Amino acid sequence: MYEPRIIGYLCTYCSYPGADLAGTSRIKYPPNINIIRVLCSGRVSPELILRTFREGADGVLVGGCHFGDCHFISGNHRTAKRIPILKKIMEYAGIEPQRLRLEWISASEGERFAEAVREFTETIRGLPPIREILP
Amino acid sequence: MEYRNVLTTCIYCGVGCGLYLEILDGKVVGTLPAKGHPVSEGKLCIKGWNAHAFIHHPDRLTKPLLRRDGRFLEAGWDEALDLVAERLTAIKEKYGPDAIAVLSSAKATNEENYLLQKFTRAVLGTNNIDHCARL
Amino acid sequence: MKRMEPLKRAVAEALRELDGVLALRRAWGGVAPHLFLREEELDELALWPKYPLPRTLQLIQRAHPESRLGIVARGCEERGLIEMAKRNQIDLGRIKVIGLACTAEEAQVCPCPKPYPTILTDIVIGEKIEPVANKMVEEFLAKSSQERLAFWKRQFSKCIKCYACRTVCPQCFCPECTLEDALWVETGRIPPPFPSFHLVRAMHTVGKCVGCGECELSCPAHIPLTTLYTLIRQEVQELFGYQTGESLEAEPPLVLPMEM
Repeated sequence: MYEPRIIGYLCTYCSYPGADLAGTSRIKYPPNINIIRVLCSGRVSPELILRTFREGADGVLVGGCHFGDCHFISGNHRTAKRIPILKKIMEYAGIEPQRLRLEWISASEGERFAEAVREFTETIRGLPPIREILP
Repeated sequence: MEYRNVLTTCIYCGVGCGLYLEILDGKVVGTLPAKGHPVSEGKLCIKGWNAHAFIHHPDRLTKPLLRRDGRFLEAGWDEALDLVAERLTAIKEKYGPDAIAVLSSAKATNEENYLLQKFTRAVLGTNNIDHCARL
Repeated sequence: MKRMEPLKRAVAEALRELDGVLALRRAWGGVAPHLFLREEELDELALWPKYPLPRTLQLIQRAHPESRLGIVARGCEERGLIEMAKRNQIDLGRIKVIGLACTAEEAQVCPCPKPYPTILTDIVIGEKIEPVANKMVEEFLAKSSQERLAFWKRQFSKCIKCYACRTVCPQCFCPECTLEDALWVETGRIPPPFPSFHLVRAMHTVGKCVGCGECELSCPAHIPLTTLYTLIRQEVQELFGYQTGESLEAEPPLVLPMEM
């Protein structure tokens, strides 16, 4: 039975505590996601995302702070511009752009994090495993 | 101040792509493919793109070096060639000509390679000659 | 309209006040970039095939920062110079641009939206023609997702990792290139694994690619790179309203904060 593998890059100051809150509040979300904490969502470069897909991730979730809340002032602005254009490039290359998702999650939005993971896991479940696209 | 391009042939493989060596103020600084060339058609492989890299390389020998007391010391051409002639003759007499081998370079001209193989076969009396492109 | 005579006159006039003009020279049966220093050399001036001249101009300017140089630039070369200047790679204050408009045959080789310069110079030799549409882009857009994937996999499997696309690009100036970093692009494999090498390169052209077509012209494997990069340029225009090489004042989109 195909269980998708999802990697989540969550920023230290907003989305990771949000995910943490989901955990301490015992909010259920699918276990398909593995979370990697980064200092800021602006650190997530296109090279990193493409390598994550090559290594076998079926989906990549990038979590950042809401605009105006970034600990590093403008890191999330960079992400907000990079991710849409990378999704377009993936679309032109024939890789489904739905595999990459960007969410703005604050430290108090535990339920929102869980909801995003639930939706994303279902989306990825509907797509072929990444090894069929990138052997 | 001068910048010009000199047409030459790539020294590496047997295809013989035409390329331009970029010369800035008397030093070779780069390579450009020869557009419209019947062989290379304006394209080069990675070795061709770096065909200029060894020309001004600091590791290149500029003077004969003789090993004395375990160290390499600079010497004059006459002294170096006298030593080479003396030692090669001695080895040839003691062990026979097949104890000597000669290594040439594909970066040398055809004429230099011809001279070296004539020297190896006619003067030294052995067939042990090879060069880097065969390896 | 004949361009050679008016161009020779324009370059000869420029040489009176400049230290040298970078243009193409015919020698040894071929054409290559050359820094013309004297009017007598202009008998060997050539027009085609074009070379990535902005790169060479940067090379000469870095070696002689105080010199006043000229360049015979087409539309794509002018766009390349504008984008380089925005990133402090070239000093346009000491450069005089002599514009050259492409003919219809030349524009067919590397279709671009504007085959003549308009911004950095008032002198444009040659007739300004209508831009030629890139047919491969239109054909590509009709493909489905699976067809696109199969297309690029087949194309990129021909890649020999010669780095020509990166070396000729006027906008690729990073001293440490991501494509040479073993962490992101696995080394020791030919062809480089899909999608790392080529999609990283595509991402790095965002906001920088001016559509000169040199990457595709220099690719020994005839990979249709401009098809992908043209589509990305159109996306950048739609998403950020930014057109590369159109104005010296517009800031590159990826470094700016979002407008709120």
